[in-house]
Amino acid sequence: MDVPLYLRPRIEPPLASLLGAAPFLHSLVDALGSPLNVLLPETIAENAARFRAVYRRHRLTGRLYFAHKANRSSALVRRLAAEDPAAVGIDVASLEELRHALSCGITGDRVMATGPKDPEFLWLAARVGATVNLDSPRELEQLAALVRGHGLGRVRVLARLSGFESTAGQSGAGTRVLSRRSRFGTPVRDAETLWSALERHSDAVELIGLAYHLDTTGLEEKVRALEQCVLLMDACRERGLAPRAVDIGGGFGVGYVADAGEWQRWTTALSEAVLGGRPPLTWRGHGYGLRNEGGTVRGSVALYPGHRPDAGPGYLDGLLSLPAPVLGREPGTLLLEHLHDLHIEPGRSLVDQCGLSLARVLDVRGTGADPDPYLVRLGMNAGDVSLEEHGVLMDPVLLSRGDPSGDGRDGDPEAERPVGVHLVGNLCLEADLITRRLVFLPRLPRPGDVLAFVNTAGYAMDFHAHHAQRQPSARTVAVEREGDSWRWCPDEDYWPITHPGGTPA
Amino acid sequence: MRYDSITDAIGNTPLVRIDPAVHGLRNIDLYAKLEMLNPFGSVKDRPAWHMARPHLEGAGDGEGTVVELSSGNTAKALALLAGMHGLKFKSVTNRMRVPEIKELLLLLGAEIEELPGRSECLDPTDTDDPLTHFHQVLTEPGSTYLHTDQYFNPRNVEAHAAGTGPEIVKDLDGRAPDWFVACVGTAGSSTGVARVLREHDPDVRVLGLVAHKSDFIPGIRTIDEVHQVGLFDPATYDTIESVTSGEAIDGMLTLIRRCGLLSGPTGGAAYQGAVRHLRDADEALEGAGRRETAVFIVCDRAESYLSYVRARRPELLGRTSRVPTLATLTEDDVRTDARSVGVDDARRWIAEGDPRPLVVDMRSPHAYAALHIEGSVNIVDELFEELVRGGLPFSKRTPVLLACPVGEKSLRHAALLTRMGHPDVRSLAGGIVAWRDAGAPLVRE
Repeated sequence: MDVPLYLRPRIEPPLASLLGAAPFLHSLVDALGSPLNVLLPETIAENAARFRAVYRRHRLTGRLYFAHKANRSSALVRRLAAEDPAAVGIDVASLEELRHALSCGITGDRVMATGPKDPEFLWLAARVGATVNLDSPRELEQLAALVRGHGLGRVRVLARLSGFESTAGQSGAGTRVLSRRSRFGTPVRDAETLWSALERHSDAVELIGLAYHLDTTGLEEKVRALEQCVLLMDACRERGLAPRAVDIGGGFGVGYVADAGEWQRWTTALSEAVLGGRPPLTWRGHGYGLRNEGGTVRGSVALYPGHRPDAGPGYLDGLLSLPAPVLGREPGTLLLEHLHDLHIEPGRSLVDQCGLSLARVLDVRGTGADPDPYLVRLGMNAGDVSLEEHGVLMDPVLLSRGDPSGDGRDGDPEAERPVGVHLVGNLCLEADLITRRLVFLPRLPRPGDVLAFVNTAGYAMDFHAHHAQRQPSARTVAVEREGDSWRWCPDEDYWPITHPGGTPA
Repeated sequence: MRYDSITDAIGNTPLVRIDPAVHGLRNIDLYAKLEMLNPFGSVKDRPAWHMARPHLEGAGDGEGTVVELSSGNTAKALALLAGMHGLKFKSVTNRMRVPEIKELLLLLGAEIEELPGRSECLDPTDTDDPLTHFHQVLTEPGSTYLHTDQYFNPRNVEAHAAGTGPEIVKDLDGRAPDWFVACVGTAGSSTGVARVLREHDPDVRVLGLVAHKSDFIPGIRTIDEVHQVGLFDPATYDTIESVTSGEAIDGMLTLIRRCGLLSGPTGGAAYQGAVRHLRDADEALEGAGRRETAVFIVCDRAESYLSYVRARRPELLGRTSRVPTLATLTEDDVRTDARSVGVDDARRWIAEGDPRPLVVDMRSPHAYAALHIEGSVNIVDELFEELVRGGLPFSKRTPVLLACPVGEKSLRHAALLTRMGHPDVRSLAGGIVAWRDAGAPLVRE
């Protein structure tokens, strides 16, 4: 085996020093079991500040709404509740998320209700003065009926739009930028009908802005949508509506892998492995979307782009700085000079570096004589750390039992060398692999060691967790640094005024 | 030279020796095959014509659209060829990364379709790449698409095996060069030329150049991307090395400034990669008493890549200005020379001033049309900057109130006009945003 094909995660200071406290993390797993989720509530506030800095740079006003679906934690939401209400709110996509946000101290006026909504969700959102991000004209009818039938106050709404591709005629003859079809929002071609409906229901709802969310990393598609919204805002004003905000959704992304070179080496090696030029890098030669057709690689890699130097706030900055196709101005300037507020709904990027998932090593199978890589069984399953489910590839950090630096007391030099292992879960199911990738670790893990999957707070911690086979699901704790040590408390007991673990003496 | 059709002028490009004083190789003669002198401007004229010819001559009735996955020279050549035959051309591409090429293609009448970006919220079970859809459309019943399929079409290779390769041998007096250096895009030129050269001399060494993985050089694929090319066969190359965009631009500059060859970055990459690789071989030949020859391809010309160079080496295209401009204003200049006026005072000034100020709104026309201060004129900031480069556009007797969204750009412009000698120019403090927030009236067109 040549150089181990590491994909080491990007770890920034608070998370790095937490990983340095291996005995602390071991004691948490000893006490609370494996798997275990650990969150750093302070970091979400720091991330919000980074997004706000981009707003300041572009002189923009408007609010950042945390997409709650990225993580179920109370600590993260409560920490955000303590931020400036004018700057930070929450985006909820279900009745329970809304209830949770309210219980965490986020007032109704700071809530954006998105996604498909049942009547109970709509009623509570309207009752507490949340902004409703309308998914369809039908939902507008439902909401208006609820408002009138139950004597609710006028509800602030955003109109979510989709299908910007159909208006691409304006972006210049001959060029068409394609986009994936979305199941959410009102197609732009039906906008006129929507405006009429908004006028008809103006006693029940107040249009405060237009919204979109595009599932793409492509800046050009998003700039086109943003500019279309600016143009459509004008169409609304012409009709006497008075929208003021453009909500551009989320999708700002996270850079998971620290080193561009490692990401490039690994993806190149994947192509070579698919072609048969090197041993497989994956369980049963899985190609992550690539396949070998007569010696040529076909297909496209279905993986999250691991190394993204400009993700998160940097991506927003880029989006606001790329000239728009019709008006030729940067979107940041367009918003500013049209006097529009900018709303964003970051999820994954707002919880970047906010937490990690721990798993105990239960069993290590295989020998040096066996050509197959070792199987390392963990006290968790693929649902507990759903990185693979989102196409995110990155190495866990090995936390040795005992000396945190990895002592090698066993004295077996074989065991102290970099080694490729398959990480398998605790379910009695062939498909329960934490990742199908052959993972390289600096040495062979031993039962009792802990593997830390870092940066899992965005969609990878509890989004897919389940109770199959009655395996325990992860508990979640919030931690905070205090001097040289760490304090912790259960996620549900965290409040922004208390130090985790109680008020210091 | 007289031709019946411009297509007859494709091929037979010159082979030009590079002055050893430039490349510094003492024992190797380095030749440039000037494919940029093909009539449509690049090496792609050959395969484009060879691949499209059967389609075009068969189409006859002017029905149909030639379609290709290309964002560059192949698209350019096919667009021209399709136009000559009364057909349309459509280019399907991930992203047009060089704006001039995109504009040029539009000028040539091409239609451009850009595929969607990657999904942010990824579903790994969805392995359906955008190209699947592309191929489905091509094979639909009744489709009038003529797909030239440059990455898989053997006629791409044949064009070079029949043209480029034999021309090199002929110009070297019937001998194959010892080295052949090519950038790998569709692998057509390298595969076709290498085949012919090896028939003459099996010992020809072929160097394939790919782009450094995180980098972008027009017309060259990265090592991962070449594996997706049907024509790519690793056995064609004795060595595959990567080059960076920095090296490509260095090479391009050498060819342009020292050799009189108006090469684009692809040719620059080939030159730079060739010299870098040949340096060791040149050392080894020292004192051996024999000379070797090497040939590389200059793929296309420089003019279309100005924005590519500007993005990477802005200093190469830098300009300096003699009059004061916004760029030369320091923060201190702005502090000492700019005056601003708050919303209330501005309203009074507009209503009661003698003379009343000219209000200039520096936002874009669309934003201005949506809402503006009554009686203001709209000169968008970039136009304004251009305007004052030639001198003061207002009489010094007319006071001026400049307004932008938040009062920052207008403040800088106010400083600039003051430095240019205008006695009474002021910036609206807090801009139109402050004006609106103060409840002052704004009107629509």
